[in-house]
Amino acid sequence: MNNTNTTAVKSNPIGTLFKSITKNSVMLSGIVLVLMIIVATVFSPYFLTIFNLQSLLRDIAFIGMVAVAQSLLLLIGELDLSVGKIATLSGVLCGLMMTVGKINPFISMLCGLLVGTFFGFVNGILITKLNLNSMVATIGMQSVYAGITLVITKGKAITGIPSQIFFLGKGSLFTIPVPFYFFVIVLAAILWFALRSKTGRYVYAIGNNREASKIIGIKVNSIRVLLYSIVGLVSALAGILYVARLGTAQAAIGNNWPMNSIAACVIGGILLTGGVGSPLGAMIGASIICLISNVIVLFGVNVYWQEAVSGIVVVLAIALPSAMTILQSKKRQK
Amino acid sequence: MTILEAKGITKRFPGVCALNSVDIAFEPGEVHCIVGENGAGKSTLIKCLTGVYTADEGQISIAQKSVEDDPLLFNRVAYVPQEIDLFSYMTVAENLFMPFDRAGIDGTISQKKLCEKAVPVLQRLGMTIKPDMLVRDIPVSQQQLLQIARATAFEDYDVLMLDEPTTSLTVKDTEHLFSIIEKLKSEGKAIIFISHKLDEVFRIGDCVSVFCNGEKVAYSRLADVDVSWVVVKMTGRSINEKEVFYSDNVSNDVLLKVNHLTGDLFSDVSFTLHKGEILGFAGLVGAGRSELMQAIFGYLPVYQGSVEFGKKPWKYGNTHYAVESGMFYLPEERRSQGILPELSVRSNISVNTLNQVMGNAGVSVPKERNLVKTAIDTYEIKAASMEQKIKFLSGGNQQKTIIGRSMIANPKLLIFDEPTKGIDVKTKTDIYRLMKRIAEEHGIGIILISSEMDEILRCSNRVIAMYNGRIAGEFSSSASKEEIMHSIFGLEENVEVAANE
Repeated sequence: MNNTNTTAVKSNPIGTLFKSITKNSVMLSGIVLVLMIIVATVFSPYFLTIFNLQSLLRDIAFIGMVAVAQSLLLLIGELDLSVGKIATLSGVLCGLMMTVGKINPFISMLCGLLVGTFFGFVNGILITKLNLNSMVATIGMQSVYAGITLVITKGKAITGIPSQIFFLGKGSLFTIPVPFYFFVIVLAAILWFALRSKTGRYVYAIGNNREASKIIGIKVNSIRVLLYSIVGLVSALAGILYVARLGTAQAAIGNNWPMNSIAACVIGGILLTGGVGSPLGAMIGASIICLISNVIVLFGVNVYWQEAVSGIVVVLAIALPSAMTILQSKKRQK
Repeated sequence: MTILEAKGITKRFPGVCALNSVDIAFEPGEVHCIVGENGAGKSTLIKCLTGVYTADEGQISIAQKSVEDDPLLFNRVAYVPQEIDLFSYMTVAENLFMPFDRAGIDGTISQKKLCEKAVPVLQRLGMTIKPDMLVRDIPVSQQQLLQIARATAFEDYDVLMLDEPTTSLTVKDTEHLFSIIEKLKSEGKAIIFISHKLDEVFRIGDCVSVFCNGEKVAYSRLADVDVSWVVVKMTGRSINEKEVFYSDNVSNDVLLKVNHLTGDLFSDVSFTLHKGEILGFAGLVGAGRSELMQAIFGYLPVYQGSVEFGKKPWKYGNTHYAVESGMFYLPEERRSQGILPELSVRSNISVNTLNQVMGNAGVSVPKERNLVKTAIDTYEIKAASMEQKIKFLSGGNQQKTIIGRSMIANPKLLIFDEPTKGIDVKTKTDIYRLMKRIAEEHGIGIILISSEMDEILRCSNRVIAMYNGRIAGEFSSSASKEEIMHSIFGLEENVEVAANE
């Protein structure tokens, strides 16, 4: 932990490179990603096919969007486990408006986004006003959203979604899946927000030291509510696009998004305690997670083993940065 | 027959000699008081006598045997710390016998048996609480007594060391504590009583050792001396003719006016601050100074009273408003309330002033760098680069960073809470000079909270002494250390109400 002593380091190019990599967790996870791509390319002839890459990018788009938004909450040391169910409920409500309500699909989608933002806002108000722990509160809220979804749908999928929106989920533009464009826009917006906007700087300040942030005069609670609302908005976007991808709105959308989005952030080097990391890391983490499930299928791993194997790889990916730190501190002790 | 004796104890830390060749002896059946200012070496002495630190030089013997031969002898010194450190979600009985091995309890813990065992221990101290109550449900005074009960539960001790035991007690509880001390004394235990409250020292003590700058400067039977003797010995050499740092540019304009303000740990506080003035707040730890300032600033609640800042009424409980209005609080706890540890010096300085460095597309880093560079030069912050993480800077440079952060935001009032805590002598002077310059050049009002008497006297145009959450006196910069000391120890009965000029 404490490396305040500034003893001169022996100039060793490989050692210096190694050091700068371990220091920069985004670079570290980027290297892991590249290595995995190389391994996949070498060992599977199907990896670099257009069809496979398209399906990979489509997966990355959904998990990536949610992970990049989730990273904002992790930066202040909080998290939202209701992202998947906000996505489902927003998608279902939007689907109902299109089918039962016969409302213009694009207006319905806009309403879906607003509803999702509102759910996020509710999460934020509950957590800040009642001073709740974000994890416990959002576990509770995710049940609420899931329950409402079941009441509305009675467990059945909503069919008859107008086919004019399928393009947004299933379609491709210049061979790149359309959801991926949405992901790039979300990523760019959140990167700008986190790294260049004034509020983004405050996000890092809050994550570093909440008490100091209050004393500096930052409106800590307003910013927290804002971040939950952003997460709600992006989750709803992902949910609605997923409805367009499936062609139906159903309760099972987004079941594994909470865990995958948090794991993506951690793999990308964002600390759960807050204040350290970049949304870019969340993007790389999400890519790694999607790549793992993709490669497992390509390598023909037994279906029953797939979940266990992908879990092991995720744990290894998370463990890598801290293993490197332990290794370094041992070296220093010698 | 001496039970605990230290001879020639010296303890050095990098750069400081915390204890310098101290001889001290404690007799059974005697209350031996230890007094001294903050940093006089009392804590270090306690830690040496309880075996937490090993002294660099000197000998400690307990019951005529050297502790070097038998470290287990330290078990015979029972120590009651100043802060309450009980397990609040466990029962009184469990707390009493923790760790269970030492209490001879093996295997399964039976609450019933524990409680039965606890009854006589509690009775001995005249405690009325039930042993099966949770510690968090009993009053603070009983918690304080429980700490003593815990330290003395096994009756295998010869020396009982009480560190500021009355800070959280009412007058009545204090009397009860004193009767317990008298009883233990009559049982032949040696009592070591460490306190800032001199009236209590004279009430309960038999003899006193006075510490100053790591040395034991005086010892006497308390019957032979009076309070002023102790105060003179405690303050040591009178202030040497060092440079002083008052502001020479105090305006007649009132900047801050506080009327009968009451909050959590302070009540009925009134004072005024002028532009360009440095107003010192002297007092003991826990006198309510930080709480008062944090309440004015909006970090803690205000219950009654009013504040006017720049002749305008003030909004309470809103730190954002305070900062926007030009009031800044520079906290005592730099680590937990001041710095953003994982961020760079640059981000730490600019966080208050991002409005000044906005470009076309959000924060403009080049503009930010320029602003930060000015701050680093002006406030002499020494960092490898402005991209260095602030947690790697020394305490003094962290403090200067926080000063720089506030200063570039064009403040009107700065509240410094213990600005030189943990900072070396040379940098201390830098910070005093900086305060003087800020006040004189920019007409900024400065409130200085400090527990160091020298610091208060060298920097303040006026000094307000606080005791127990109230103002205990107001002094000009020419007041003597002894006068102020009397007030902060609560010795003066007639409280001078701050006269508004």
